[in-house]
Amino acid sequence: MASHYEAPIRKPLVLGDRDYHDVSVDIARPVETRANRQWWIVFTIAFVAFLWGIGCIIYTISTGIGTWGLNKTVGWAWDITNFVWWVGIGHAGTLISAVLLLFRQKWRMAINRSAEAMTIFSVVQAGLFPIIHMGRPWLGYWVLPIPNQFGSLWVNFNSPLLWDVFAISTYLSVSLVFWWTGLLPDFAMIRDRAVKPFQKKIYSLVSFGWSGRAKDWQRFEEVSLVLAGLATPLVLSVHTIVSFDFATSVIPGWHTTIFPPYFVAGAIFSGFAMVNTLLIIMRKVCGLEAYITVQHIELMNIIIMITGSIVGCAYITELFIAWYSGVEYEQYAFLNRATGPYWWAYLLMMTCNVVSPQIMWFKKIRTSIIVSFIISIVVNVGMWFERFVIIVTSLHRDYLPSSWTMFSPTYVDIGIFVGTIGFFFTLFLLYARTFPVIAQAEVKSILKSSGEKYKKLRDAGQPLYQIQKTATIREKVAEDQSLPSEGSKKEVADLLGAIGVFDAKRETPDDLKRIKGIGPQMEQTLNQIGIFTFAQVGKMTEKEYNLLDSITGSFPGRAQRDDWAGQARGLNNSK
Amino acid sequence: MYTFSNRLRIGSFILMAVGLLGIGIGFVSAPSTVAEAKALVAAHDDGHGGGHGESATHEGSDEAHGTVAMQGQDHGASHDEHLLHQLQNRPWSALYVAALFFFIIALGVLAFYAVQRAAQAGWSPMLFRVMEGITAYLVPGGIIVFVLLVLSVLHLNHLFTWMDPEVVAHDTLLQGKTGYLNTPFFLIRAAIFLGGWILYREVSRRLSLAQDEADDNSNFKKNFRWSAGFLVFYLVSESIMSWDWIMSVDPHWFSTLFGWYVFATMFVSGITAIAIISIYLKSRGYLPDVNDSHIHDLAKFMFGISIFWTYLWFAQFMLIWYANIPEEVTYFVTRIEDYKLPFFGMLALNFVFPLLMLMNSDYKRVNWFVIMTGIVILLGHYLDVFIMIMPATVGDQWAIGIPEIGAVLFFAGLFIFWVFRAFTMAPLQPKRNPYIEESRQFHY
Amino acid sequence: MATKVIHAYYNDDDVLMHAVKKVKAAKHPIEEVYCPFPVHGLDKAMGLAPTRIAITSFMYGCLGLAVAIVMMNYIMIQDWPQDIGGKPSFSYVENMPAFVPIMFEMTVFFAAHLMVITFYLRSRLWPFKKAENPDVRTTDDHFIMEIGVDGNEKELKALLRDTGAVEINSIEK
Repeated sequence: MASHYEAPIRKPLVLGDRDYHDVSVDIARPVETRANRQWWIVFTIAFVAFLWGIGCIIYTISTGIGTWGLNKTVGWAWDITNFVWWVGIGHAGTLISAVLLLFRQKWRMAINRSAEAMTIFSVVQAGLFPIIHMGRPWLGYWVLPIPNQFGSLWVNFNSPLLWDVFAISTYLSVSLVFWWTGLLPDFAMIRDRAVKPFQKKIYSLVSFGWSGRAKDWQRFEEVSLVLAGLATPLVLSVHTIVSFDFATSVIPGWHTTIFPPYFVAGAIFSGFAMVNTLLIIMRKVCGLEAYITVQHIELMNIIIMITGSIVGCAYITELFIAWYSGVEYEQYAFLNRATGPYWWAYLLMMTCNVVSPQIMWFKKIRTSIIVSFIISIVVNVGMWFERFVIIVTSLHRDYLPSSWTMFSPTYVDIGIFVGTIGFFFTLFLLYARTFPVIAQAEVKSILKSSGEKYKKLRDAGQPLYQIQKTATIREKVAEDQSLPSEGSKKEVADLLGAIGVFDAKRETPDDLKRIKGIGPQMEQTLNQIGIFTFAQVGKMTEKEYNLLDSITGSFPGRAQRDDWAGQARGLNNSK
Repeated sequence: MYTFSNRLRIGSFILMAVGLLGIGIGFVSAPSTVAEAKALVAAHDDGHGGGHGESATHEGSDEAHGTVAMQGQDHGASHDEHLLHQLQNRPWSALYVAALFFFIIALGVLAFYAVQRAAQAGWSPMLFRVMEGITAYLVPGGIIVFVLLVLSVLHLNHLFTWMDPEVVAHDTLLQGKTGYLNTPFFLIRAAIFLGGWILYREVSRRLSLAQDEADDNSNFKKNFRWSAGFLVFYLVSESIMSWDWIMSVDPHWFSTLFGWYVFATMFVSGITAIAIISIYLKSRGYLPDVNDSHIHDLAKFMFGISIFWTYLWFAQFMLIWYANIPEEVTYFVTRIEDYKLPFFGMLALNFVFPLLMLMNSDYKRVNWFVIMTGIVILLGHYLDVFIMIMPATVGDQWAIGIPEIGAVLFFAGLFIFWVFRAFTMAPLQPKRNPYIEESRQFHY
Repeated sequence: MATKVIHAYYNDDDVLMHAVKKVKAAKHPIEEVYCPFPVHGLDKAMGLAPTRIAITSFMYGCLGLAVAIVMMNYIMIQDWPQDIGGKPSFSYVENMPAFVPIMFEMTVFFAAHLMVITFYLRSRLWPFKKAENPDVRTTDDHFIMEIGVDGNEKELKALLRDTGAVEINSIEK
């Protein structure tokens, strides 16, 4: 059996005095409460951007690709730039869930769910661009290897663009399955807490009837491990194949062998930056600071710094080998990037991607939340320009000087790009309200090794658990039902007399589920009795506990053991 | 404390002695005139029934050397001259490949060690002393490689054609590169890199030993900072080292990926060496707290990095194959024409074999199985380095004979002697690393 | 047929592990354990057979690889050979570098999806499937050990109480 030992110098990954139940409560809270105003404001903005994007897409498809700024020389620009940018962002999710799983990094547990969600949503954005670019997207199925009615023509398996079709669709579908499998136990947790019948129905449906049997967990863990093993080379292959789109060609600046690993490093770089952007906001909005800690942000910053350095090393390698090769076209391509008409884009890419992450060497900076947030955005701006530089600067000076030209985007180009950003945030905001945004089952499994509560116990030399021999034995329980029995009116009156009556006009009900030992069922029962606030529960003593037990007729002694009153007083004070 | 067993010590001396003999035979039997060279090849061809077809390989090796075609002289005479150079190069190349191979094993271990330290890994501290012992070889190994480079600069051999002013004078491409490929700068770079790597190794070793006796974690923290700094230096120096010491033997050819590809080779070889030596020490009872889970993890790295190596190999090969640009594709044309068996055999050894052998997680815990697979991986990566150097230096006149085997035996003996001698200098298990308890309890 | 089982509730994974070992040692049949999160080593302690799902994944992967090879060989080499980029498609092996990406993708595609489908079917997970955990708290912070009763029920309950169960219920199924 694995020990829960962890070196004392490791920082806790779950802050505060939290046990298993607290994790459920904290993670279910965003799903169980209503959205606030800020959420609605941000959602509206994102949705409007999305609608504008849809408008531009409709215009493009109904009119033609001519609505874009492409010309004869620069036949590929924002479309493929955006495609590569979004796919790149999509890499962090699988990296966190798969690669960090294989490396047994416990800190991944708090962020993998959202990172995977981000992956799926951004790959969806990426997939849009090739489909729109087809011109007649309803014929998109022609990329599949199916015999067609026009003769024995097949798709071309020598084409990197077709490899992309296979790579992206495999990646999207496998990520989705990986994500959903991990979600099952967490959906089940929300299902079992749900009080409203509609919620219960929905979460029952999506949790696929997960029951948490030992055998299920055994398979679950094995499946996760194998999927991680498969997803790791898969995530490498996806951006590798994207880089093949360029590197298999004979265009100077595109054909270079370092592209595959360098694209992958760049993808991880931008993906982690996007995860940082999203999670820094989400931890605040959803109140998850205890789970997504500064330590998590620091570690992500370190990865951004490492991958940024690798990308920088690749830039310099490309520059140097271009000179070393002695191929004049190659030399010119790089000279033109740095000093030609697009020098500003090159400079932006160099500053954002190579210079800016280097400030993360300072601990003060990488543990500062506001700086992390700014850098995460700077990095993604830089990574967009990296793709733009690679694509447009290599094309706009082709082999025929008479056709040299510049590229300028139209409002349709811009609109579609902004639209995908809106679409992405729309999806993510919806996700943040309806999904368990942290893999709670996995967090619970590392709580004893990395939770602050247990780390403190271990440091103090105290046992992490105690075996109490005080169980109540009950016979012949058909169904666990704790609704108040009829005819206990007197007890209810006594109880409320002692702890006070809830006044719906003056007071607002508290979330009693935050008290350990009170689940959604018990909360409902208490509400039926007329107990709604922490203040009421806080007034309970031995006598009231007994009254409550006789009303509900279930689990005598539970309230004492968990000290509901004490907990409630604490919660009431910190309200 | 580890005591160097007599059997192993004598074994390493025997390896070195036999190796030296083999190297000596290689040098003595190399031809010194064109006539001798022709006679040697004729005899060789008789014996093998024309094993290496000459005409087919002609083009590729010339291209690799990049001299003959541009000179535009009498082709037959220059070809004979060329043959002589190749045969004279053979013992040197054999020596260079083996020296380089064992050196990059130690360098790969150093990189792995630094990564473990910088990542604050919890499973591996138990193995730090093993890694530190292996990296002790950086000093003798580095000196030998450096001496070989100096000898090349002094024109005692023709491993690096760009060092020959005669060649550069007739080659405009090489003239363009003289700003970088010139002998003083070349040696300065080599000295800086070797100095930097050895410096980090010595500092980190010292801090690691000091941490055992200290009563706080300051040495550990310093070591962490040094490791992070070293990795930055390594990222840059490793690539340049690969271009200098390996890629420039084909001075016309270039590939941006090359440095990272060499990195994968050294990383997987280094990890394999750690696994093999740890299992050996454990079997002798020296690493009581190293359990099957540690070996399992090393084997996972062998498996994973083998696949990573293949990925980089494929990325480089496929892109060059696909684009089919003459100045790039000659590199692989030469190899496929003259080195078909080792070229594809190496892929089988380095990819297919570890993939199939180490996929099952139970096998990764069977120690002898890991050793067997490890030996195959090391063989495969020796071939890998062989294929990086030989086509440029000896062309189609390659063989794996007495000079090659002798050189490998010599360096294997030296490696074993030096590494195990280093083990005797400090306890084999660290005591006060803050993660040592995590590593001891590591089990899954 | 009514069989009687005992549900012992625990609220700590370590306590549960000790209890499982004790109950197992006392030779009571543990029929099921419901957990809110994976407890490492529980399957071994319960004596569950190791899962073979990874092996199925390997086989599915081989199938995917075979499908990819057969498909591309038929399409690119046999049915409609072309000369693409100066590389005439005379044989599969000669053109293989261009086929490797899709060989890899199809291997992963088959291995991942078919394995997950196998997992869902074997563990009976699909939409509209009703959950079968006996208490809603087993997805929150409680563990339930379900033990079949054969013979001395009193002794078993005493044993369970000693192992630190927080609730012990007898259930007629």
